[in-house]
Amino acid sequence: MELFDNLLMGLSTALQLNNLIFCLIGVVIGTAIGVLPGIGPIPTVALLLPFTFGLSPASAMIMLAGIFYGAQYGGSTTAILVNVPGETSSVVTCIDGHEMAKQGRAGTALAIAAIASFFAGTMATIVIAVLSVPLSVLALKFTAVEYFSLLVLGLIAAVVLAHGSVAKSLAMVLLGLLLGLVGIDVSSGVARMTFGIAALSDGLDFVPIAMGLFGLGEIIANLERPAERRVVSQSIRSLIPSWQDLRAAFPAVVRGTALGSVLGVLPGGGAALPPFSSYALEKKLARDPSRFGKGAIEGVAGPEAANNAGAQTSFIPLLTLGIPANALMALMIGALMMQGIQPGPQIMTEQPKLVWGVIASMWVGNLMLLIINLPLVGLWVSMLKIPYRLLFPAIVLFCCIGTYGIANSLFNVWLMMGCALIGYFFIKIGVEPAPLLLGLVLGPQLEENFRRAMLIADGDFTVFLSRPISAVILAVVAALLLAMLSPAILRTRKEALAE
Amino acid sequence: MTRSRTDLQDLLFGLFLLAVATGTLVATRNLTVGHAADMGPGYMPRVVALALMAFGVFFTGRGLWRAGRGIAPVQLRPLLAILASVGVFALTAERLGLAVASVAAVMLASFATREGRLVETVAFAIVLSGAAVLLFVKLLGLPIPIWPR
Repeated sequence: MELFDNLLMGLSTALQLNNLIFCLIGVVIGTAIGVLPGIGPIPTVALLLPFTFGLSPASAMIMLAGIFYGAQYGGSTTAILVNVPGETSSVVTCIDGHEMAKQGRAGTALAIAAIASFFAGTMATIVIAVLSVPLSVLALKFTAVEYFSLLVLGLIAAVVLAHGSVAKSLAMVLLGLLLGLVGIDVSSGVARMTFGIAALSDGLDFVPIAMGLFGLGEIIANLERPAERRVVSQSIRSLIPSWQDLRAAFPAVVRGTALGSVLGVLPGGGAALPPFSSYALEKKLARDPSRFGKGAIEGVAGPEAANNAGAQTSFIPLLTLGIPANALMALMIGALMMQGIQPGPQIMTEQPKLVWGVIASMWVGNLMLLIINLPLVGLWVSMLKIPYRLLFPAIVLFCCIGTYGIANSLFNVWLMMGCALIGYFFIKIGVEPAPLLLGLVLGPQLEENFRRAMLIADGDFTVFLSRPISAVILAVVAALLLAMLSPAILRTRKEALAE
Repeated sequence: MTRSRTDLQDLLFGLFLLAVATGTLVATRNLTVGHAADMGPGYMPRVVALALMAFGVFFTGRGLWRAGRGIAPVQLRPLLAILASVGVFALTAERLGLAVASVAAVMLASFATREGRLVETVAFAIVLSGAAVLLFVKLLGLPIPIWPR
């Protein structure tokens, strides 16, 4: 059994003491940012990238991955107890989870959320492991032509499935591509758009851009709307759900896991789509839909399972093909590149220890999260008492030092400041910055593969259509774009994404 | 959100894209473009900039054409305080050292909200500064001076 051998190899990497420690650090930090509203996983991962330089690639990825799925877990605590989503993905959990807390069933809601997440995490790990092998075999047939088409698919799919206007997202991808072109051109050695600034010759660092756009821009916008937080005061009585609760929740957990696993693989779906779809599904299937919104346990179990499964399966495109499904995965690609690993379709065959180590660590991390989240829930609740007025200056300071630390350059700090302004501008005009980050990270690879493909084909554009794999990929791109134009799909997309 | 006769969100985005595209075309005007089989360094930037320009024209036009959402009023206090905090850090970090720059950055950032109390902010800034020095310089070995040189 090749799959079995691979998983064993992964486990041997994941269970090394130092990797266990980094996994634990990742999930603890992840839970903390999940619990605290006001800072998301993207700026946190960006902030922590400089710390990972000294680590082995596997340890770095294990820790960063832990932050991501840890945040999905932690978000539900805040949603249930405070009725504020700690994370975008737990918006739905607020509805019935907080209602349960108000009825004195906070402990049950927290426990169900954690158990659902753990179940989903375990199943998603298996899905990743099973899917990885055939995908990596396919990936070995890729040349520059196919890889270019694949990158186009990654970008377009991310746009189509993401929040907000498709046209705006497309424009943002282009903007990101453009920023990715800044620096010395690899093949001719000519400086492009560097404006004579030496710090730009290596290209724009994406960490200051991510921190500025996602971290600081968001903080400025947050400060404009005064938010109040009220923790449900009654003590959490029992964390052990009754047999009846478990029986009611279990089918929802299974459906949520299946739905989340599928939606997670799709690029761009990311955080919001799986839990919303699961909630809608549970409500539709329920014998008495009117219970929803009044503390229905399925309304917590399904979405929590879906969001955790989705968070994990969104690693599939990254780990098997080397293309990111969302902005966070783009940062992960950046982390790999900083480690000197060229992401691409060969990643699985060239870095099996890394890939399988990360996959196995996810299950280990999920086990840790179950332990961290349930018995220690009191600790996380007390973290909610840190007032925002103290929290945000600390985040700003750490962002400054973090960006500086990437290249010991003050230029990056100025760049982050500029991006904070632009990020705020984007929020004001209602544009999502995530596609920009994808374009920025994929831009250089897109250009390189395009130029190489054109060189192979002697400038003949039809090469992208005459090669079968590339043609199929581009057909999917065309289908996605056409589907976006159809009014029926536009309507369901709006419903699915409506908050 | 106020309603307005033009779609201000689209309009501003369109103008922003037009500015970026124009800037790119100007900045890359001296680069060789080449042709598809042998692309020069200017090929991709030019192609992307032209596409951005098309989007810019589209959004500007749509913004002017249709009525839409206005923009929530800009509050200058958080915006300026956060930007100033980052700027002051960039100006002082290498000259005055991390300890001083951290205190200055935290204090300035705290001005972003009216909730802050002076004593608490000063104390918190000093604590954070100490933590930052310990973590980044002592533990992680970031090559940045701690005190003014």
